[in-house]
This record gives sequence, structure tokens and C-alpha cells, in this order.
Amino acid sequence: MLILPLFLLLCICIGAFRKVALYDAFLEGAKEGLATAKAILPALVAMLSAIRGFEASGLLDGLCDLCAPLFSWAGLPRETLPLMLLRPLSGSAALAVLQSILIEYGPDSPIGMAASVMMGSTETIFYTCGVYLAAAGVKKSRHAIPCALIAWLVSSLAAGWVV
Amino acid sequence: MLQIIFGVLMGASLLYGMIRGQGEAVAGAMLSAAGEGVKTALSMAGGFAFFCGMIGILRRAGAMEWLAGKAAPMLKILMGRDVPSDALEYVAGNLCANLLGMGNAATPLGMEAARRLARGEQAGNALCLFLVMNAASIEILPTSVISLRAAAGSANPGAITLPTLLVTVLSAFFGILSCKIMEKKAC
Repeated sequence: MLILPLFLLLCICIGAFRKVALYDAFLEGAKEGLATAKAILPALVAMLSAIRGFEASGLLDGLCDLCAPLFSWAGLPRETLPLMLLRPLSGSAALAVLQSILIEYGPDSPIGMAASVMMGSTETIFYTCGVYLAAAGVKKSRHAIPCALIAWLVSSLAAGWVV
Repeated sequence: MLQIIFGVLMGASLLYGMIRGQGEAVAGAMLSAAGEGVKTALSMAGGFAFFCGMIGILRRAGAMEWLAGKAAPMLKILMGRDVPSDALEYVAGNLCANLLGMGNAATPLGMEAARRLARGEQAGNALCLFLVMNAASIEILPTSVISLRAAAGSANPGAITLPTLLVTVLSAFFGILSCKIMEKKAC
């Protein structure tokens, strides 16, 4: 993928063209970036421990078993259920599940396709929301998470139907 | 909302783990995840600083303003007229980075956007909408999934690009619609 190097080169070229003090401008931006990283650290610790605990307790597996009938009713392959449930919680765990699905059923099988679309069209909602809200210093998130979950539900269901 | 989610995840996991005689393992997993969180934050901090540094150059060059100007008419329809213009720059930047599948650039931009959209302790309508737009994750190139498919030996790793785009547009539509319905309710 050439997007990243091209983007970086573009940044430098635009800056040089507009006669920006490149080094100073970079340092100023980097300082803000570090401040943000510091602000989200507690939120990361909190969300990751809650999510890993949830996985380790076996509740995630239990939830998958519980939701299985609902899934077959909606016409989605049951094998993609763990992926759907994990996706809003943890990007890396979901990626690992996707990989095992792709290897087991083949990337071009209906299950593999549905799982791929599901992965690409949803986001690690709890993580992103937690981190963004922590960066914003906001305590009450109001309707942000319910609406994000609606988007997740629509994505997951549509992923099974579109392929 | 996060209070409830955090409480339920923690409480239920510990309780269920203890019932199954796995209490120790659950607590252990939580503790090691805490370390993992710090490690992630630290390793991300470098990337943040790097991308925010690059964005800093773009800002001084006026490129962010230009981008925000292009995206402003559409964003103002979605997020309301009173969004501060410096927030719009980052919102536009975050959406562009997401569109191109540059997640590592999108996150620091998104956090800066969230910081500038925040008004006090409560998330305003604009911030909620921004979070939902991120949750729907509109992508032209789902880069990580495509590379994973290629690694798994797919005959056509990019075949999911169009379906993925369709699905994300659909979910963004419903997410934004639900936001618009729910924001009418009293805070």
C-alpha cells in the first residue's frame, strides 16, 4: 500500500511549498498528540481489563451460544457470531477470530465473505467511544453508544445478506 | 452509559468466573490486560505524536482549513451550524483518513476532533454524531481485512470492497438517523 508514504510525502511537500517551519510545526503537533495519549491511558486500562475479563470468564462463549438461535433466524451463518459479538469490544481479538474463520472455511466461501464484510464494516465501538470520550473529557455520553450499537447491528445483519 | 457497560462487564465476568471456579483466572486476565492497556497506550503514543506532528505541518500550511472548508457544508448539515471551525478541521481530517483506511492517522485526528467538539461534562449532539459516524466506519479501502484475506489465500481479496462500502453506508445512514431521532429528546 502506497497510501501512507504518499500521504507523508504530501504533508512535507505542502508544508515546504507554503514555507512552513516544518520542524517547529511538527513538534507543536506532536506535543498535542502526546497530551492526548496521556489523557486516554486510564480509559484504555479500564476498557481492556473489562473486556479481557469478559472473555476469560467464558461469558462471551455463553453469550454466543445464547444468541445462536437468533442468528439462524436472521439468516446469518452461525460461525460468524463470535466475530459479530467480539467486534465492538476488541479489534485485535476480532481480527484473530476472522483469521481463524478464513483459514477454516476459506476466504471466498459465503461464510468467509460474510465475515470479511462484517469485520470491515464495523468498528471497535466500545474502545473507540471510550477513548474518544476520555479525550473529550466528557462524562455523560447520552445517545452516542446506543446509536453506535444500532449502526453495528445494521452492519452485522447486512453483512450476512449482502454476500 | 459507559459506567453501566464497565460495571456490567466487570461484575458479571467476576461473578460468572467465580461460579465456574475460574475467579482467579478472570482476575488475572483483568490485571494483565491493565498492563496491556498501558503498553498499548505507550506504543500508540509514538504514532499519535508522529501523525499529530504531520498534521501540525498541514495546519500551519492551511491545508486543514482548506479541507474543512470543502467538507463544511455537508458537516454543518449533519452536525449543526454552531460547530467550532477548528473542530471541523479535525472532523474532516478524521473522516478522510477513515475513508482511505488509514486507521493509525484517523485515531489521533478523531481524538483531537472529540476534544474540540466537547462542551463540558455532557456530550453534545455534534460529538454524539461524530462518534456514531466513526462507529459506522465508512471505508473505501478496508486495508486490514484485504491483507488478511490475501494472506489466507483468497482468489480475489478485494472482492469485499464494494459490499463493505455498501454495508457501511447503510449502517451510517441508520446510525445517523437514530442519532437525529434521539437527540430530539431532552438531555
